[in-house]
Amino acid sequence: MFKDLDPILHSQLRLAVMSLLISVKEAEFTFIKEKTNASAGNISVQINKLKDAGYINVLKQFKDNYPQTICKITPLGIKAFEEYVKNLQTYLSIKK
Amino acid sequence: MSEEKPLTQEESLALITSMISKAKCDYEETGISALMWGSIVCFCSIISFAGFYQHWVWANYVWFLTIVAVIPQIIIAIRESKRRKFKSHNDDAMSGIWISFGVGIFLMSYFVNLFKVEHEGSLYIIFYGIPTFATGLARNFKPMIIGGIICWAIAIVSFYISFPDIMLLTALAAIIAWFIPGLILRRRYQKLKNENV
Repeated sequence: MFKDLDPILHSQLRLAVMSLLISVKEAEFTFIKEKTNASAGNISVQINKLKDAGYINVLKQFKDNYPQTICKITPLGIKAFEEYVKNLQTYLSIKK
Repeated sequence: MSEEKPLTQEESLALITSMISKAKCDYEETGISALMWGSIVCFCSIISFAGFYQHWVWANYVWFLTIVAVIPQIIIAIRESKRRKFKSHNDDAMSGIWISFGVGIFLMSYFVNLFKVEHEGSLYIIFYGIPTFATGLARNFKPMIIGGIICWAIAIVSFYISFPDIMLLTALAAIIAWFIPGLILRRRYQKLKNENV
């Protein structure tokens, strides 16, 4: 038996964002934009979806008079990501 | 990258691997701190060694340079943290290790001068190996792992060597533990910077 893949994570950009955030302690919005090559608007929408799901925390502040957005994965997000990878591996091993 | 593109399981796994590797690849130290401290400690050691034979009285005070160098170190650390767009999992641990090393070496210097501890040169070399080895291990950076181990090997040799010759070993330890890894980090950083231009 295997579970359905988490629909929040099973989307290209959201999964990319989560994969980046699991690798670091916290990251600026510009870092995510640079690494995913997605548009700012698109990333904003996906970040909000991840935030609403409780998978990431978003901190908005000012750095040298410029707005700065910092994203950080939450313990719930780590758990969901690990579960997603585990389910993915189960799917792939069944396929083989 | 689009948000709702349907993903196969293979594509998902490939995307995760690629993003994790992109985040890892982005972590590059500038190497400036390692180069600076390697140069300063090496310079001070050689001046102490030469000062003994040349009877330079001022050579006794050359180690105060290491206290002065804390100011550019703080400036470098602030600039680097401002430049960095993300914080890695072990950044805080690294800062903790190097701050502890700085405080520890300052207190040890005070202690050895207060109680006129003999053969203190060996203690410094042992001390140099600790943050170097820990950083190398945490960052998976072999030149620093090797640098730390060589520091301890040099420390063992130094047990049988007295001042001023021990100063040459201190210079060697600084070159191997900091200067050479700093050069490697600097080259990597410059290469990465040129690739991104």
